[in-house]
Amino acid sequence: MRLIPTAAALAAIPLAAMAQDDPIAQAIEARHGFYQMLAINMGTLAGMAKGDVAYDEAQASRAAANIEALTQYDLPGLFVEGSSSADAEDSAARPDIWSDPEDFGAKFAALGEAASGASEAVRGGAGNIGPVVQKLGGACKACHDDYREKS
Amino acid sequence: MKDPLREVRLWDPLLRAFHWLLAFFVIVAWGLGKFGPDKMTLHFWCGYVVAGLLVFRLVWGFVGPEPARFSHFLRGPGAIAGYMRGMFLREPSYWPGHNPLGALSVIAMLAALAAQVTTGLIADPDDYINVGPLASYVGSATRSNAVGWHSLGANLVLVLVLLHVAVILFYRFWKREDLVRPMITGRKQVREH
Repeated sequence: MRLIPTAAALAAIPLAAMAQDDPIAQAIEARHGFYQMLAINMGTLAGMAKGDVAYDEAQASRAAANIEALTQYDLPGLFVEGSSSADAEDSAARPDIWSDPEDFGAKFAALGEAASGASEAVRGGAGNIGPVVQKLGGACKACHDDYREKS
Repeated sequence: MKDPLREVRLWDPLLRAFHWLLAFFVIVAWGLGKFGPDKMTLHFWCGYVVAGLLVFRLVWGFVGPEPARFSHFLRGPGAIAGYMRGMFLREPSYWPGHNPLGALSVIAMLAALAAQVTTGLIADPDDYINVGPLASYVGSATRSNAVGWHSLGANLVLVLVLLHVAVILFYRFWKREDLVRPMITGRKQVREH
């Protein structure tokens, strides 16, 4: 009797498709992907700044350019209604984002400003990375303090 | 017939230095944590000093002079209840050291600060500039959760410190006993209990 497993599998398809079509779940997943990309590139820079990783100008500049590009993306647009930590289990976005979207947008814009010119600024030696990481990290912190759920 | 009052050297110089240094560095660390610059280097250093002070206090609690020892002021529920019965009398306690109830506050503050130091050391707030020096030794969920615990801990420390100050004021104005001066000069009027 393969009928029951088959029926179960068929029944599960619409469920999986629903999750994929759910704009809220998609937005949360996209945000996590965004931060993951940010983290990979920040990790490269922070590693070189601390001396954990050998300085490589091309690699550092590429990581910084990635961050510049990422911060040009309209991230606040992914913070759709119904995707706060109060609404979704896998969201760390505090509801305060939605009560003051202007400030949240300004915080993200500040990250963009901190990133601007980074791909040039990190050239010329490991010592040039530290100040860039400080500026970027400061922008990370400013937003995390107010808008990220401290699990 | 009560025992006569005696003025004794109650708090030794190291314990007094510990107390005021701890107060100073906890207040500075707390203020920097809430309102300080994004790069928290000074906050970190304050935390290291607090950690060192806590280690001193732990050691001093076993080898220090009598009033500084845990064995001297940690008492059972009976002693605590006994102390509380006379607590609201409008007269000085003349207690020779931490009283049985105050001892609980001392332990609560030391434990809260030890927890605060621990969570700070392992916290990773994902900003690449304020990562606790021991964060890489714990799992990623733990170092992320530690940020939340550290934030809760700051509130707990605030509550305990405000309670401490409120009780000092209660002694000063209700019981007419100055507990601040002995912590500066080391000398206090006491009566054997």
